[in-house]
Amino acid sequence: MAERCAVIGLGQTKYDRCLPISMDGLVRQAALRALEDAELTFADIDAIVLGKAPDQLEGVIMPELSLCDALCAVGKPMHRVHTAGSVGGSTAITAATLIESGMYNTVLTVSYEKQSDGNFMWALSGGRSGGQGAGGSFAPWIRNYMKRSGAPEHIGWQVAVKDRLNALKNPYAHLHLKDISIEAVKESPMLWDPLHFLESCPSSDGAAAMVMTNAAGAKRSPRPSAWVLAHAKRTEAGVFPGRDPVIPVAAMDCAKALYKKAGITDPRRQIDCAELYVPFTWFEPMWLEAHLIAEPGEGWKMVDSGATEIGGDFPVDMSGGVLSSNPIGASGMIRCLEAANQVRGTAGDYQVEGARVALAQAYGGPSSYFAMWIVSSEPNPTFK
Amino acid sequence: MSEFPVSFTLEYPYTRTPGPVIGPFLTGLRDGRILGIRCGSRVLCPPMEFDPDTGETLSPDFVEVGPSGRVENWTWIAEPTRKHPLQEPFAFALVKLDGADTAITHAVKAAGPEAMSTGMRVTAQFREERVGAVSDVYFVPEGDAREQAIEPGEGEVEITTHLISLTYEGKLHPHNARYAQGLLDGKFIGQRSPVSGKVGIPSRGYDPIARVVLTPADDVEISPTGTVVSYTVITPIQYRGQTETEPYISATIFLDGSDQALPQQDIRDIPLDEFRVGMRVRAIFRPPAERNVDAVDNDWMYPTVGDVVERWAPTGEPDVPMDQIPETM
Repeated sequence: MAERCAVIGLGQTKYDRCLPISMDGLVRQAALRALEDAELTFADIDAIVLGKAPDQLEGVIMPELSLCDALCAVGKPMHRVHTAGSVGGSTAITAATLIESGMYNTVLTVSYEKQSDGNFMWALSGGRSGGQGAGGSFAPWIRNYMKRSGAPEHIGWQVAVKDRLNALKNPYAHLHLKDISIEAVKESPMLWDPLHFLESCPSSDGAAAMVMTNAAGAKRSPRPSAWVLAHAKRTEAGVFPGRDPVIPVAAMDCAKALYKKAGITDPRRQIDCAELYVPFTWFEPMWLEAHLIAEPGEGWKMVDSGATEIGGDFPVDMSGGVLSSNPIGASGMIRCLEAANQVRGTAGDYQVEGARVALAQAYGGPSSYFAMWIVSSEPNPTFK
Repeated sequence: MSEFPVSFTLEYPYTRTPGPVIGPFLTGLRDGRILGIRCGSRVLCPPMEFDPDTGETLSPDFVEVGPSGRVENWTWIAEPTRKHPLQEPFAFALVKLDGADTAITHAVKAAGPEAMSTGMRVTAQFREERVGAVSDVYFVPEGDAREQAIEPGEGEVEITTHLISLTYEGKLHPHNARYAQGLLDGKFIGQRSPVSGKVGIPSRGYDPIARVVLTPADDVEISPTGTVVSYTVITPIQYRGQTETEPYISATIFLDGSDQALPQQDIRDIPLDEFRVGMRVRAIFRPPAERNVDAVDNDWMYPTVGDVVERWAPTGEPDVPMDQIPETM
């Protein structure tokens, strides 16, 4: 790469069921907060990268055109990224490559979803009856994971409680469930056996934004930078003969490429914390295995032992994760943003003490698109 | 063989939260007033939340503009569709309203294109029924305008609804048409890759790993018997178009001799406490006249067998042991 990429500004809206602001206002709020954090203005931005999940969710086709004015992108390059649920992660990576390539000095990237404008279940079913939702598609794979790993069913409940307790420390989180408990999760309605209502993500409105720049820009920036050490994207088809959708090959390949680029040889020890895309509880142990952080069949034991809690040896989804806020198009970017938040030391009540290296991951479609990045408080950390 | 035409209408009543600027603008239209917003020394109509030149957020300083203005440019719509604001031939025009510095794109009801000209004066006419939408108003040549007594509505416009629809038509790809014909004939037709030897159903028409195109010579008939490899119980969530109301089992079934599971097979007549992973089942097809493949389309993301299987009946064979259940689903 010609240049190094540093994240110097983070901006988020509050995530909620229905935000009473326009789509223009939504993306602007996140963008303006990221610019304010970076102490820059729209005039300092060379290019904009916008991401969101399929246009069918809001029924606004090619919103990157109608949102140009709101993001002050008139006369500037405007990129749109489109990879289903992983899109927020792919969008962050696209923005990073625009810096690394030397093409631009400073880039603004924004991802959003306004789920209240449409209906995700309807959109996912393609407008037909019998749509089972993402939970209905993933539940058989989760059951398969439980069978092959021997994981007890309380693992899912534990993830549900941990992430919602974390969310109580994050003012932007959609769900603030003060009375969350194992009992409450267990007794919530069974939606997609074995997934209970409280083991599922909410439908949220919201936007997230980041300002990225090169080494010269980072030097001028008044606040700490999060340095992008490595990023990787991998895709596999959602259906093909011989596919294992529980531990997809693309998920493993993506992690291998990422760690290699970052110089990481022992991810569990060398990475301080992770924001993983966990829209349904069981994806926490499944991704820990698919991304080679846990040995096969051992991911659930990390959950069970408390290793993934804040204070554990490998905290996961300190912000409350997708289980607590899911503005789909933004959810992947929020993972990247929260990883940056940790290594900048600005995560407030959910800060992992001394976090130096953080992992972010997003996935989309039927576990077929993967986008991951690793950020650090140092541009060139050494790993032992 | 039939070409299997595909026709589908995708339609949903989307909502919008217009926010602190477009909200009052729409409320104004409902109440018979057109509002612009102050932006420095200019007035923008339609109003925006921000200065389009600098990106600065604007304070909600509204100004009533119009109801008359000047046509800056126009085009004639000779054949309106049902989605157009007027159902008779009309003009779309850029109208700079009196008191505004920017033009609004809107409909002008005129006798014909010869009645339209750049520079002409037009006046707003409000519809009898107003809902707080940009279509609450249209324009007419100034001389045609009539006096209107508008009764203001109640409350602020905070959310609007828009029925958006798209109808698409096409036909099934040849391999999908052969698959659909097979279903109508009571058979599962998959394809075997000559490279990997693996059988996919429904096939994508090519081997996605080796990237080799498959031909009709690669078609294979697959047994209607198989093994349950996983399942979930769906509690249907209601949405527009959903007709399912009661919980049902949705099973993943591996047909014997295939390498790709059939997901989302409805099980309605096997009690949950008898249903299990490893169970052997056989597809019982509906009578030929009742088989329907309308749901089969070219979308490989959500494989379907259409509505041809009446039920999956247990064969009574011993269960397949857990260690022989394929991990590839």
